[in-house]
Amino acid sequence: MADTTIKDREGAPKPRARRLGHGHNRRLQAITGWLFALPFTIGFLLVFVIPIISAVRSSLYAQKPAGGGLFGGGGLVDTFVGLDNFKAAASNPDFWAGIGRVLLFGVIQIPIMILVALFLALLLDSFMVRRPGPWRLIFFLPYAIPGIIAAIVWTYLYNPQLSPFAGAFPAIGNQPFFLAPQVILGSMANMTTWTFTGYNMLIFLAALQAIPSELTEAARVDGASSWQVITRVKIPMVRGAALLAILLSIVGTVQLFNEPSVMQSAATWMGGDYMPMLMAYNSLMGTISPSGSGPASALSILMALVAGALAAIYALLQTRMSR
Amino acid sequence: MKPTRLIPWLAMPLVLVGMAACGSQEQPGGNENSTGGAGSAPAGETVEISYLHRLPDGAGMTPVADIVDRWNAEHPDIHVTSTKFDGDAQEMALRLETDIKADSGPCLAQLGYNEVPDMYVKGLVQDVSAEADKYKANYGGAYGQMIVNGETVGLPQDVGPLVYIYNATEFANLGIEVPTTLDEFKTAAATAAAAGKYIADFNADEAGYWLSGQTAAAGGVWYSSADNQWKVTVESDASKTVADFWQSMIDAKSVLTINRWDDAYNAALRDGSLIGNIAAAWEVAFILDVFDAQAATDTTPATEASPYQGQWRVAQIPDFGAGAKTGPDGGSGVAVMKGCAYPEQAMEFNNWFNTQVDDLLSQGLVTAALEAPTTQPEKWNTQYGGQDVLAELSTANKNLNPDFAYIPGFASVVPSVVESASAVVSGSGTVADVFAAGQTASVTALTDLGLPVTEG
Repeated sequence: MADTTIKDREGAPKPRARRLGHGHNRRLQAITGWLFALPFTIGFLLVFVIPIISAVRSSLYAQKPAGGGLFGGGGLVDTFVGLDNFKAAASNPDFWAGIGRVLLFGVIQIPIMILVALFLALLLDSFMVRRPGPWRLIFFLPYAIPGIIAAIVWTYLYNPQLSPFAGAFPAIGNQPFFLAPQVILGSMANMTTWTFTGYNMLIFLAALQAIPSELTEAARVDGASSWQVITRVKIPMVRGAALLAILLSIVGTVQLFNEPSVMQSAATWMGGDYMPMLMAYNSLMGTISPSGSGPASALSILMALVAGALAAIYALLQTRMSR
Repeated sequence: MKPTRLIPWLAMPLVLVGMAACGSQEQPGGNENSTGGAGSAPAGETVEISYLHRLPDGAGMTPVADIVDRWNAEHPDIHVTSTKFDGDAQEMALRLETDIKADSGPCLAQLGYNEVPDMYVKGLVQDVSAEADKYKANYGGAYGQMIVNGETVGLPQDVGPLVYIYNATEFANLGIEVPTTLDEFKTAAATAAAAGKYIADFNADEAGYWLSGQTAAAGGVWYSSADNQWKVTVESDASKTVADFWQSMIDAKSVLTINRWDDAYNAALRDGSLIGNIAAAWEVAFILDVFDAQAATDTTPATEASPYQGQWRVAQIPDFGAGAKTGPDGGSGVAVMKGCAYPEQAMEFNNWFNTQVDDLLSQGLVTAALEAPTTQPEKWNTQYGGQDVLAELSTANKNLNPDFAYIPGFASVVPSVVESASAVVSGSGTVADVFAAGQTASVTALTDLGLPVTEG
């Protein structure tokens, strides 16, 4: 009865009214949604989108002398130079030598760090560790130390005058062992491994703990050994986490900065362009020519492209292999 | 001035925070009155002058803020606010550039003499020639370091002529005299090295200023101009003299090759193996601190003063073939920055501040002002066995090669030179390569800046 009345009352014009009402609701919902997203959006614009736009803009400009003479007229003008900064950066052998160093670094350091992190995570996830809490904290602790501080502490540890162990290693070509050209990438890899293994372990641990216990139980019921549970169930289930951890590591490696910049003060043979991020920083600081925000932005963007390309290649290979 | 290079890194997060905080804040730089015409202070109002420096302000020194307070007490109409920049010179240069572009820069800023041409090219300093002329008579040869393109942009503060410092007692034990020529130096180095002592150290990490200063001592300049074009002569006869001098001693292993700011340098001083070196005058203020008695800390026991304390003396560097000449290694002035609305008042303070020689001496500065400090610090009497160090430094100051000047972009030349000098230490390069690297880097720097340049 009531149904019919309503239907009657909602005669011909009703559908439109209903749609209006519905639209009104949706608009309200949309506004509420946007309001909730507002703090994030503002933050995202301020600290992400605007800096990127400004970096891209400044990479297209160079500061040129306003006039002639020995001192260029005593002023600089921002001049649009198109892709000149990129051409200069991409044709600079020092830049590619730096990229080569981070690649060499990454190819060796990332697998070691990821495997150790995975091993620690599996250990903490296993029944062998009764109370993983304290261990988790201890392994993660190095990451809680600010990167620059960690780099300084390690540089002191590599200094034969101050270190409890560095003096026992032979100098190579008048350079302290850990700061010698042949060893320094290894010294840096040691620093980053120490800092980030715990962090990557947490990524793996979170993924491991998200594996439903039914799966491992079922495997055990089917007669799988502990080793088989790990290799056939757990490791395949954390593949997504591994992808994330490795991608973050690749990007982080290309952006290596704290370690080379601090070590450079002790190992002056490195120069200001040992690694690409250091090179971009020193271009901005004026200690590498061409200098200024234009060339520095171009180097940074080029570096981001390289990091993006490497990450994309890895992700592609990974998905292809898992098929 | 920089006991360890790592300290700035410790301070860096704070600096970045400070930069962010100061960027938004109105600095009392006097920019707000740009319509009022330069130098015309409104009657009866207090003129605000801001001054950015990076003097050490260390323990036992007269803090810059105290000196400035004295000025403020005596000059109610010109109020100066000093700010200490906790970072290195390069970071301060970038900060100045950013702030001045945002119209919030300081009125006065400390600039290294090597930075002045760079700041001029960037249009960050003001021509205050007329004001500076009034005070010119108060300063020595360093006055010229504040002149770019015929425009005076400020006043000199301190100088860093190269001097020779050595352990006189050890020299007497070895039967050697303070060398006065390069040949005498090499012979003395060989004699000392035979006894396991070294009368010099090749400072690869300071090569940019240290070797350019020695080229100046040999009568050369790295940069000059002709026909409105820069002439780069980093590789020259004078630099060859310097290169051969060091190469022969490095090859003979009669000098050490430790970086100046490496802890190994202090260790070599402490264990008595390093008994002399060619050093910038400003190093005199702290180089012997390693011999001081140390109070106990949580981790180390107290140590007594080293027996070497009081045995060291300051002398002139040997004749590099151009007579009694020395070259500059560092030193800085205070420039009037673009956007400063009261250059007249700023220069009045600038001159007053830079003639407070006793206070500046306490900061470890060898002042550029002609007025001699009344007394040398008590610490120096102990460390240099009562020698009149000030007189020796003043002689070095008078012997400075006045023609040595820097180019815009010199900041990018220094790392190339240092990198190359470090290769000498590793045995993979020669000292001549260092000058070749400096030559290339200088031409590149000028070309990249879009300035006219001809080689050699």
